[in-house]
Amino acid sequence: MRNYFIDDEKNEFVVDLHRTVVHSSNLVEFTFSALENDKLERTQNIFVRKLAGQYFVSMDNKRWKKLARQDAPNIMLNVNKVYQLFRGYKPSGLMGGNEGELLTQMPGKIVKIIVEKGQQVKKGDNLLILEAMKMENEIKAPIDGTVKEIYVSEGQALENGFLMMEVEKA
Amino acid sequence: MTDKRILILNRGEIASRIAKACRELNYTSVGVWTESEPHARHLEFCDEWVFLEGKTNQETYLNIEQIVGVAKENNIDGVHPGYGFLSENTDFAKALEENGITFIGPHSEAVRLMGDKAVSKTLAEKHNIPVVPGSTGAVKSVADAKKVAEEIGYPVLLKAVAGGGGRGLRPCADEIELENNFEAVGREAMSSFGNGDLLVEKFIVNPRHIEVQILADKKGNTFHFFERECSVQRRHQKIIEEAPSPFIGEDEALRKELCDTAVRLAKAVGYDSAGTVEFIMGEDKNFYFLEMNTRIQVEHPITEEITGIDLIVCMIQSAFGIDLGIPSQEWITKTGHAIECRICAEDPITMLPAPGTVTGFETNFPQGTRFDNCLYKGLEVTPDFDPMVGKLVTKGITRSVSLRKMKAALDGLFIEGLKTNVPLHKVILENEKFVGGNYSTKFIGEEKPQDDVKTDFDYEKIYSMLATIEARRMGF
Repeated sequence: MRNYFIDDEKNEFVVDLHRTVVHSSNLVEFTFSALENDKLERTQNIFVRKLAGQYFVSMDNKRWKKLARQDAPNIMLNVNKVYQLFRGYKPSGLMGGNEGELLTQMPGKIVKIIVEKGQQVKKGDNLLILEAMKMENEIKAPIDGTVKEIYVSEGQALENGFLMMEVEKA
Repeated sequence: MTDKRILILNRGEIASRIAKACRELNYTSVGVWTESEPHARHLEFCDEWVFLEGKTNQETYLNIEQIVGVAKENNIDGVHPGYGFLSENTDFAKALEENGITFIGPHSEAVRLMGDKAVSKTLAEKHNIPVVPGSTGAVKSVADAKKVAEEIGYPVLLKAVAGGGGRGLRPCADEIELENNFEAVGREAMSSFGNGDLLVEKFIVNPRHIEVQILADKKGNTFHFFERECSVQRRHQKIIEEAPSPFIGEDEALRKELCDTAVRLAKAVGYDSAGTVEFIMGEDKNFYFLEMNTRIQVEHPITEEITGIDLIVCMIQSAFGIDLGIPSQEWITKTGHAIECRICAEDPITMLPAPGTVTGFETNFPQGTRFDNCLYKGLEVTPDFDPMVGKLVTKGITRSVSLRKMKAALDGLFIEGLKTNVPLHKVILENEKFVGGNYSTKFIGEEKPQDDVKTDFDYEKIYSMLATIEARRMGF
């Protein structure tokens, strides 16, 4: 079974589950590999044991580690990235969000629009201020270019993934 | 003892914490729930719940009229505001008073005096409490500025009267820099704030943010519970606090002077609750009064851990005029060292808030860990509330022991689905400067621990998580 991990920036990791061994009614062994440069690498056996309603995992069937039980099997956190997990298939239409498109990364409210349509901007210039989680976040130009279109107005409340502004590459 | 009814006007971990104090006192805790958080975890700890109508915080937690109405309807004896929201709002304290309900906090005059930075600074000066030296009011010219600077000594800070948020500030090392910067900062202030007036203040090099916990009753007994070091900050918000301060260290004379100064200020305003006096301390160990927070603070647990006092219980007792049972200042002692890491729903590298949903939550802590939190599986961290989801506190007989425990505690805190600053805390706890205890408020800016957060795809963890998901799918 192939698993696809895709983060907000469309980075992709592929992990294959290619062996499952049921040792007993509460011990099961899996073998995973990661697909890197079209080769399966980092092959690893993982044992899972259920004890007192809790899952424990082990690499060697000796030393066991407690883990937080996942209730939403389609989300996976790795340090600073939250991945969407797709099991068995790779979704189409996930792309989008071109280079110069500014999408909201979290729900918020537009506090101030700093630039005007048609204005020249440099990568890193402040374009607008989005208030989210009681904080003002400066949204910066991702590339050098011209402000092609502004889709939002000051005071507007936005959902996640909303297109705010488009910058055309110089 | 008559059974009192306490309305807990807050949410998250502090609401649970206050409910626990009510339980100890055998008071009825009445929690608040709102439409935006119908499953809030803190309600589990309360005896009763009331509903506040409205969608925004303005309509619920900040709506004085509605809150007073609900309190009267439910025969509430006292309201504990926690921190934030209405905890330092004099109108609210007065509204409660007029309706015969106790505000669990200081008298409103103390809140008013300390709420205004200029007023509190003047008051402190009047009582010979050191404040950051500088010009009284705006300086008119470069010559004026130079005169003040010579009196207080370089380096100095040029500061826009109307400034804020770190803008309109410039340190000047000597007379030449002051001359060169004066007009530029004035112009900048004029264009940014519409007011070009400037102040000259002593520039504190590598400042430490150190604060003293105060507790007072209505009879004029005022005690301190030693200091907390809160210099690890990002965006002027604390993320790690420890008690006692490693910068003060074994210097008991300095500690006594600092704590006694805080008590003196509290007495000057007739303070009668739990509060905190904040100081900034320079490299030379001179300290200056910054402000007083007239509420319970987020980081109160570390003081509780080293002194063994329950500050929330005492705060409630004090509000109702009940004896605190503390015979004297000398009776209060501290043991060991405690540290707190604020666990926030934020990106560990950019340190920006990252809302999301908790999909898994489990703990496996070492002995001596305290975790005040509002986490549960399914918790949705929304942009409406503060991103802090918990406070991890460890205590040890020495600083190195509590740091060791904290590292183990962070390793045993499993939060899934939601980005948190746990990886950042782990890096800070390995940082040489931090471990050495010699750090200032510039720590995050200079050491940049966020750059050392490892972001490699953790295959072992990902495989393990996948394995449990598969096992579950197979019906294990």
